[in-house]
Amino acid sequence: MSAPLFLRSTPRAAVRYRTVDLVTVAMLGVAVGVVFWGWTQLYHLLSAGLAVAFPPATGLLGGGWLLGGVLGGLIVRKPGAALLTEVVAASVEALLGADWGFSAIVSGVVQGLGVELVLALFLYRRFGAAVAALAGAAAGACGAVYEWFAYYPDWAWGFRLAYLGFFAASGALLAGLGGAALVRALARAGVLDAFGPGRDLADRAAQG
Amino acid sequence: MTGTTGVVGALGRVNSLVLVTLGLLGLVASLGVRDLASAGVALGACLAFGLLLLPRGTGPAARFLAVVVAVASVAWSTWLLGGHDPTVAAVAGMRIAVLALPGVALAPLVDPSGLADQLGQRLRLPARFVVGVAAALQRFERLGEVWEQASRARRSRGVGPGRGPVGRSRHAASVTFAVLAATLRDATAMSVAMDARGFAAAHARTWAEPAPWTRTDTAVLALGAVAAALPYAVLVVR
Repeated sequence: MSAPLFLRSTPRAAVRYRTVDLVTVAMLGVAVGVVFWGWTQLYHLLSAGLAVAFPPATGLLGGGWLLGGVLGGLIVRKPGAALLTEVVAASVEALLGADWGFSAIVSGVVQGLGVELVLALFLYRRFGAAVAALAGAAAGACGAVYEWFAYYPDWAWGFRLAYLGFFAASGALLAGLGGAALVRALARAGVLDAFGPGRDLADRAAQG
Repeated sequence: MTGTTGVVGALGRVNSLVLVTLGLLGLVASLGVRDLASAGVALGACLAFGLLLLPRGTGPAARFLAVVVAVASVAWSTWLLGGHDPTVAAVAGMRIAVLALPGVALAPLVDPSGLADQLGQRLRLPARFVVGVAAALQRFERLGEVWEQASRARRSRGVGPGRGPVGRSRHAASVTFAVLAATLRDATAMSVAMDARGFAAAHARTWAEPAPWTRTDTAVLALGAVAAALPYAVLVVR
């Protein structure tokens, strides 16, 4: 056996949430919700030109709003963590006063499910940059499909598909790769010692 | 108890679960908006609901500007990308108003702890998770402070935001990192404190506050459901 028994994670132990998992998901969700709200100003500044000239291109800026799910999934590494983090973040943003009202909560559910889908595909065992990028893209794609119905049902199909492409690309880049880099930086800052990314870092350091 | 003070301002007396449900009913109603008639009825119902039931002076009026921006951007994009049809664009804009207005109007009334009590005691969501979120929400104001402190610290060290979008994006990213690091550190410390008080091992959990449900709650929720059904009724009748 490579690792002592008490350190090996059985499937049961991997699914059961420790207190630190729950509190982190909740607090991360709240923090990301505040961050979303903080970004809104910047978003309006950047998106105004795009929204007038070529509305589907606003999808390029949407990826930031998928960060909650990717962060929650990559840090806690348990089924449901991505969904819960994104939903809490979206709810906090809605309570702070999001432009789209409480439908932001539904957006959060849909986008969080996109991340969960990809993490489940890899059986909650792979959390590298490539998986994070895929998860971000899936979250963007799910979010775009929801917005087709809720916001843009009258756009011609070509534009809807363009929006989906932009949103998914932005999700892969900003939320996926950005989220993976953020998690690595947080692990190096020493605040993820209770979680998988922090343990990975310690393992690598121990191996020299 | 309640219901004695009349209908006006009733939204100030309902519990937070009802408020959130009403906000989500805005989405349900908006999906029923297909043409000018259903849009007009849905938006009319929404405005009547708000003008009659929303207490005077709830939250800053400026928050409705965001809805105006959202409506304008969707109406514009629908005109541009949906065949340059002004009617279709107007309906799309009104649909977004129906979607966003209830939530934006009600958000200042929602009390996070009251909502957590309702989620845990009435909807019976897993108590550990509900308590975790409620605990996190208590740190909420601190987060705003951390955001402020982090950006002021950067400014005083001469690494504040530049004028351009690139400088502002970089500043936003750096402050975001500081806020997240502080949050994760707090979360670990708080979960140790919670477990030291037996949070993980608790079997029979009690709640500090009750989660009351009054006749006003039922009445307002029923009224909201009827209002949300109106656009669908219009579609069926026509």
